[in-house]
Order: sequence, then structure tokens, then C-alpha cells
Amino acid sequence: MRDNKPFLIILVFLCTLFGNAQQDSITVLDEVILTDVRLLHFSNGKVDVLKDSLVDRNGSSLTDLLQFNSSIYLKENGLGMLSSPSFRGTNASQTAVIWNGININSQLTGQVDFNTIVPRNYGSISIRSGGGSVQFGSGAIGGSVHLNDLFRFGKHSEHELLFSYGSFDTKNFNYRTSIGSKKTTVGLGINYLESENDYKYLGTNQRNENGAFNNVNVNANIGHEINDSQLLKFYHNTFIGDRDFSGTITAPSNSNYRDYNSRNLLEWSHFNEKQIHRVKLGYLYEKYKYYDNKERADFSFGNTNTFLINYDYKINFKDIVLNGIADYSYIEAKGTSLENGTRKTLATTLLFKHNLSEKVTYGANLRKEFINDYKSPFVYSLNGRYSFNSHHTIYLNASKNYRVPTFNEVYWILGGGSGGNPDIRPESSLQAEIGQTFKKEKYTFQWAAFYIDSEDLIQWRPNDMGIWTPININNASNYGLEVSLELAEKWGNHNLTWKNSYALTKAVDSETNKSLMYVPEHKVTSILTYAYLDWRLFYQLFVNSSVFITSDNSESLLGYAVSNLGLSRSFKIKEKMNIETSLQVNNLFNKNYQNVAFRPMPNRNVQLKLKFKI
Amino acid sequence: MKMKQVSILVAMAALFTVSCSNDDDGVVIEEVKGDYQNGILIANEGPFNNGSGTVTYISNDSLLVKDAIFKLENNEDVGNILQSIAFNEELAYIVVNNSHKIHVVNRYTFKSEGVIDDGLLNPRYMTVSNGKGYVTNWGDTADETDDYIAVIDLISNTVSESIPVELGPEAITSNANFVYVAHKGAFGQNNKVSIIDSSSDLITSTLTVGDFPNSMQWDTAGNLWVLSSGAPEYTGEETNGTLTEINTSDNTISQTLDFDTTEHPSALSVEDDTFYYGMSNAVYTFEPGLDALPTEAFINDVSFYTMTVNDGKLYGTDAKDYVSKGDLYIYDLNTKTLTNTISVGIIPGGIYFN
Repeated sequence: MRDNKPFLIILVFLCTLFGNAQQDSITVLDEVILTDVRLLHFSNGKVDVLKDSLVDRNGSSLTDLLQFNSSIYLKENGLGMLSSPSFRGTNASQTAVIWNGININSQLTGQVDFNTIVPRNYGSISIRSGGGSVQFGSGAIGGSVHLNDLFRFGKHSEHELLFSYGSFDTKNFNYRTSIGSKKTTVGLGINYLESENDYKYLGTNQRNENGAFNNVNVNANIGHEINDSQLLKFYHNTFIGDRDFSGTITAPSNSNYRDYNSRNLLEWSHFNEKQIHRVKLGYLYEKYKYYDNKERADFSFGNTNTFLINYDYKINFKDIVLNGIADYSYIEAKGTSLENGTRKTLATTLLFKHNLSEKVTYGANLRKEFINDYKSPFVYSLNGRYSFNSHHTIYLNASKNYRVPTFNEVYWILGGGSGGNPDIRPESSLQAEIGQTFKKEKYTFQWAAFYIDSEDLIQWRPNDMGIWTPININNASNYGLEVSLELAEKWGNHNLTWKNSYALTKAVDSETNKSLMYVPEHKVTSILTYAYLDWRLFYQLFVNSSVFITSDNSESLLGYAVSNLGLSRSFKIKEKMNIETSLQVNNLFNKNYQNVAFRPMPNRNVQLKLKFKI
Repeated sequence: MKMKQVSILVAMAALFTVSCSNDDDGVVIEEVKGDYQNGILIANEGPFNNGSGTVTYISNDSLLVKDAIFKLENNEDVGNILQSIAFNEELAYIVVNNSHKIHVVNRYTFKSEGVIDDGLLNPRYMTVSNGKGYVTNWGDTADETDDYIAVIDLISNTVSESIPVELGPEAITSNANFVYVAHKGAFGQNNKVSIIDSSSDLITSTLTVGDFPNSMQWDTAGNLWVLSSGAPEYTGEETNGTLTEINTSDNTISQTLDFDTTEHPSALSVEDDTFYYGMSNAVYTFEPGLDALPTEAFINDVSFYTMTVNDGKLYGTDAKDYVSKGDLYIYDLNTKTLTNTISVGIIPGGIYFN
């Protein structure tokens, strides 16, 4: 730290010399390059950014990544199958996934299947804890996961090629590149993953039959500086998945599920040191096909098209930042069991932040949506942050959040004993959070305590006529404590980092006082990394305590601890080429565990990776 | 070994005789055949997507309740969606829909005697006639033409033959000569009863009854009564429920009683020629010989997932939210009052008496 001081002083001196304008315009440019300004300016809570090295280890699915690197609880119907998150004890549709600033939760289910997101080729992945419906829309109740592409201007050309092979005939191929000039930059990432996934069910003579899957994921982005005050950016992501859906210990399966997702976003920004105008055009497409019996030609399907236009205006007055957003979206859905529904939404958002002094920042955010097919609540959030010094801050926030009913919930055709409910209301929640951060060179310690009071939770139940239909039935309160501690030590060529988190979560049905299903009271993660010269050794662990699998808490599923161990070495070949080889052992202790009842997870397995970088 | 056990049994029987000697009817020595004799068996379907059904045993006096007795005795899960249980002499046949198999157990000890897992596809209900088992199968649920009756060789516990039938065979019952299959329609809709001659295993006739025939019961004269719920409102073409009598001497329909269009009865059961069924949050009774259906409910304000009557009592289940343990309610048929509530397994869908 001490060594940097002269440099910093010179920098500060230069900035004052060339005036504040210069400094501001650098920030503004950085800011327009970033898509998700709301994450930067208007998220006065806990945001964890996952480092590249962490993403690299568990980069083939968001499930795997967050399992080891966050307090989010994930349940998978067997490895690679449907996967849903529970953030702070909320349900799967109460975690929003934000792709380059747009909410990409399925319009059909309200959820994102975390096994259909390939995190490897994103520039940055952040986990934002707590309610964020004002900033990020429907579903950001427990928290949100942000996938952002980064644009790197300036002359460069980088390529990275990854091959990996492992147990259960698992093959992974990845290519990513970033090429740029002063004015233009292009990024591309292509990932292909396939696996027979026929792992043994430990303690039985069964295997994970019908569990094979493959997927292709493409990320692409182009950025171009039109001039000093205009920037054009285009983002694209395609995911194509083809999975046989595993059965359970007690029932075989021969079903197959295919999904196709395409996301496109064009953004034009016009900016100067005081203000930024952004116009975004987006097009999202999602489609699934479900073959109950893959030997047969018949399938059921659903798809949605989302068109959106968004205008975002941000202005700085001295210590105040104001951001107004108007967002219009048109969504149409079709499906085997869906009435053809359309939904038009106009969302208006006002975000306000005031840096009262060096130590105190506070903000207030408001959002109101106008939707053609139901009433959406007015939501808001308030937050404040106090910095004792640069190492120590404390924050407080409170918000009202919501989750809109999905197309399935509203437009499911009445028939075969089930049907949608046109009178369904949005789920809503009130929440409060307090947290503290201590950050020094060698350690970061954070804690946060939260309380969420949710009402009108939607559940499918048989009504008086015996028809399964979604009803606003439950109220719940969730509360808990999250603690994380990160330590780093360095001596000579030795580097040691130790990253830990612990979450205590209680989610209770307000009426019955019973715990909600599939919410572990305790989750622990721990990652120890030791690096010496070109060698790197890591150990990662997550622990979920037992969960209830019936709503009356009469039955539960055992808790489990799963560990991975990895060793890698990189070699420099010639001037520019770098090769990294690594070996990773997953489920090191061969733990027999299920994270959804009757669906066992894999036994010990091995993965070999070879990576080339130019 | 055997001799020794018999002698102990005799010795115990002697003791028993002494202690019961003042019984009016003299001495009836009932052989103790297993822990689960003299009680009620509840077939719990279990959770929908992943999990296992269970069987709950409840002693006749309701004092002893044992959960998951199949697993307890065999250290194995029953399987996914326990659809029904059929009985033949000392054996019980546990039909597991989504696992496509039937567990054969001793009905009193619940010890496994075998498993039938070949030749079944979405099995539903079973009956025994002429020394053979008959199991309704939906086949592949996406295929409306592959539904069949699996004929079971009860000696080898294998499927010996498949009889293709109309869409959606559900409830099944039999007398000495014929097997009667109600076609509720699986995921679709149907209104047939097919009749199979159990000596030739050929379909001899197919009768048209009301829409969605869901349950069948015998009267003391040996005729068969079929209850159909009718098509519910959401089908867009609501039809009335019906109660149909099949004259089994010539296998023709001898009587059809129509409900109102908005009335959709289910779960027909019978005791001493009084039929009971559930409808519109109430229980109704009906006696053969009457020309009209009752307008007054027998018990009001009750709604059951399934129900049946036995020995002066009405048994009804509550599946609650389908993801927690259900309840069994026992009503006294004389006083029409609730006498007992017993917690059972997840989605209690079948009530049987051992």
C-alpha cells in the first residue's frame, strides 16, 4: 500500500490540474460501458462479485457456481437437470436473474433454470442480496444474480481455448475471445458441454439412467464508440439445451426436455459529464419442448417473445444522482396448454441517491408498473450507508418487492384437472436488512441480518371443484443472518486465500408456524486456495443442513457436505502463449446425497482440463 | 422346527381357551397371522414428482397406528404413486402406478412375496377372477390406443397376457365368471364398462354408462352398480352424473339413474345393500329398489379425497395440501358423528380392511 502512495498523489495532482471535468468524463465513460448502473449506484446492500478464477472452476453451470460460492440454496433434480434457487429462504421464482441489466426470468414459470445459464464467458457475475424489485423488476425478492458482459476498448487481441474431459463421459469445450481497438471491441464466447451423466446411485444397484444432456451456449457482444459522447453496444446470448430427464429412485423416466433461449439487446447511449441518456431495444425468446416419452414424436411446448424498449436518463447534480427509467415491454406467449396471452407492461422507475457527506449516503427508489392483465403494486426502497472510514461501513435498507403472476399461472388452459387463475394477484413482500463490512488488505468480514415478510404467495392447489389451480394462499416470514470472512496471506511466492460464508435462514409459514419446504437452516461454503509460483491447489466445500420435504414438517431430507479438490499448473510457452492443465476431483469423499428427495447426486468423479491462452 | 412352533401354538391356544372360556359363543381361536391382521390399511399415494407411496396400518380400535409398514417390513420403498391395493386370500397386491410394478406381500405380515415388474405400464387397479389377476393399465399416457388389461399368473407372479381395451381403464371388479372394467378415460374422457369372460379372457361386451365412470360396487343379489361422475364444467360440455345397474345374469344395463347436470358424485361404497357416495361436499345414501336418487344428504359439510363404509362406520380421507400427511376421518353411521381423526401418509387414496 505504502508503495502506491506517490503514484496516487501524482494521479490526484494531475486530475486537479486538468480539472474535474476530465475526471468525471472518465467515470462517465466507464459508467456507460457498464450496462447495469443500477447495480453500481442504487444497490446500497450486499453485492458479491465473483472473481474469474472462481467462475473458471465451476463455470459450466450457474448451479455449480453458486452452490460453492454463495449462500443461495440450490436444488437440482439430479446433476444437470432442472435446477432452482432459494435465496434467503424464498422460492424459486423469487430470485431474479438479470442479464446485462434485463430481467430474464421465464415468463412461463417465473424462474430461471440455473442449469441453463453457463457463467463461464461472462465478464462479471454478481450476487446481490435482498429485495430489488424497484431496480430489477418482478421476482427480485430474495435477491438477484447479475450476468454482465464487459467491453474492453483499447488495442488487444486475446483467445482462450478450453478442453475438458471427465467422468460419466463428460466433455466440455470452450472458446472465448476479446478483440479491440480504441473505438471498437468484440467479445465472443462459445461453450459446448455434453455428458452421459450415468452416475451410480451410491448404496443401490441403480444408475442415473436417462440423464444424458448436452448444451451449446454462445455469448457475443460488440461495442463501438461513435464519438466522444455516443456509444453503441450490442449483446447477444443463445442457449440450446437438450436433456433427458432423470427418473427417481422409485420411478424410471424416458422423458426429454429441450430448451432454446435467445437474448438480444441493443443499447445506444449519449452522455456528457453531467448526464447520460440511454435507449435500449431488447428481444428475448424462450421456448421449451417436453417429450414425456422420448421414443414418441409427440411433445408439449411453450414459448414466449418479449420485445422491450427502455429509456433511461441519469443526471448528477453535485452530490445527488437522479435516474429515471421508462420501460415498455410487450410479451406474447403460446403453448400446448396456454391460451394465447399477451402482456403489455409500462414500468416507470425513479432512483435517487444523495452523497450527503463523505461518510453518509442515502437513497430512495420508486417504481410503478401499469399492466394490461392485472394490478401491480407500487414498490419502493429506502437505503442508507454510513462509512466510519474506508475500511468500515454499515448499511440499512428496507423495500417493498413483488413477483408478477406468470403466464402459466394466469393463462393455463382449464382441462385435464388443472387450469390457470385469471384472478391471481402478484406476490408481494416487505423487507428490511442491516449489514456491516470491514475490509482491509488481508481480510474482509461482512455480516447482514434480514427480515422478509411475504404475502399472497402463489401455490397450485385443487380448488372446490378438484381442479388444480394457482391460489394466493400463503404468507411467510423469512429471517436470517449471513456472515462471510475472506482472508488472504502472502509470503514470497506463496499465496493463500480462504473464503468462507455461513447463512442461517428461517422461513416460516405465518399461519401454520411450520418451516417452508426445502429451506436449509444452515448453509456453509468454504474455499481454500493455495498458490505457489505456477501451481495452484484448491479445496472447496459446501454444507447444507437438512430440509423439510413436507409442508407439515413430518419428513425431512438429510443434510450433506460436498467437497471438491483441484490442482492446476500453468506453463508459459514462448512469449505469449500460456497453457494451464488442471485436475479436479468432485465429491471428494464420495458422499451419498440428494438435494431433492429420491434423486441422488453423483458419486466421486474426476475432471481434466486443458486451457490455452494467447 | 415346525413341530415345535405348532406345540407352542397349541400351548398358547390352551391358555387362551382358559381365559376366554366364559365367552357366549364358545371359543373361537383366531390364528395370529401377522402384525397387520384385524385392522385398516391406508394406501397413501405419496408425493407426485419424487417420492414413494406408503401403507399405514391402523388397528380396528384405532389405538395402534403404524406408518410405512411396507418399508418397515421389507426395507424398501413401495414406489412412486401407490395407486391401489388388491387382495386375494392371504396375499395383497400393491399396485404402483409410476413405478410400473406390483408388490406381492402377505397381507397380514406385509413381508414381500414377490414383485411383478414386467409387462405393466401405468397400472391402476387389480381384481382376481377365476384364479387369475386382472390389472388395468393406461399404457403410455400420450397414446390413447395402447391401454390394456394385464392378466397375471398368480402362481409365477408374471404377466401372462395383455388384453387391449378402450381408453382409460380404471376401476376393475369381478365375480366368478366375468371381469368388469370401468373406463374413466385416463387423461381423456370415456364412458364405457367392458366385460371380460375370465375363462376365455375375451371381451364379451362393452356397455355405455355415464361419463367418467369412477367406481363400482356389488349388491347382495350379485348385480353391479356403476357410479359415473359426469363431465365437470371445465370440459366445456358439462354432463350429469349417473348411477347404472348392470344385471349380471345377462350383462345388460337394467337401470340408469341420472343426477342433475351440475352434480358429480364419486366413491361409491356399499354395506348391507345401502350405497354411499360423496357429492357436493356431502355424503348421500341410496338403496336399490328406489326409483329416484336422494335429494337429502346423509352427512353434510364433508369432503373427502376418498371414502368408503365398513362395519357401521364411514371412513373418509383428507389429502390436505398434497405435500403433507393426510388425515383419516372415521364417522359413526348411526350417529353421523365424527368419532376419530387419525394422521396417515401423504395423499391417502385407498382405504382397505384386513
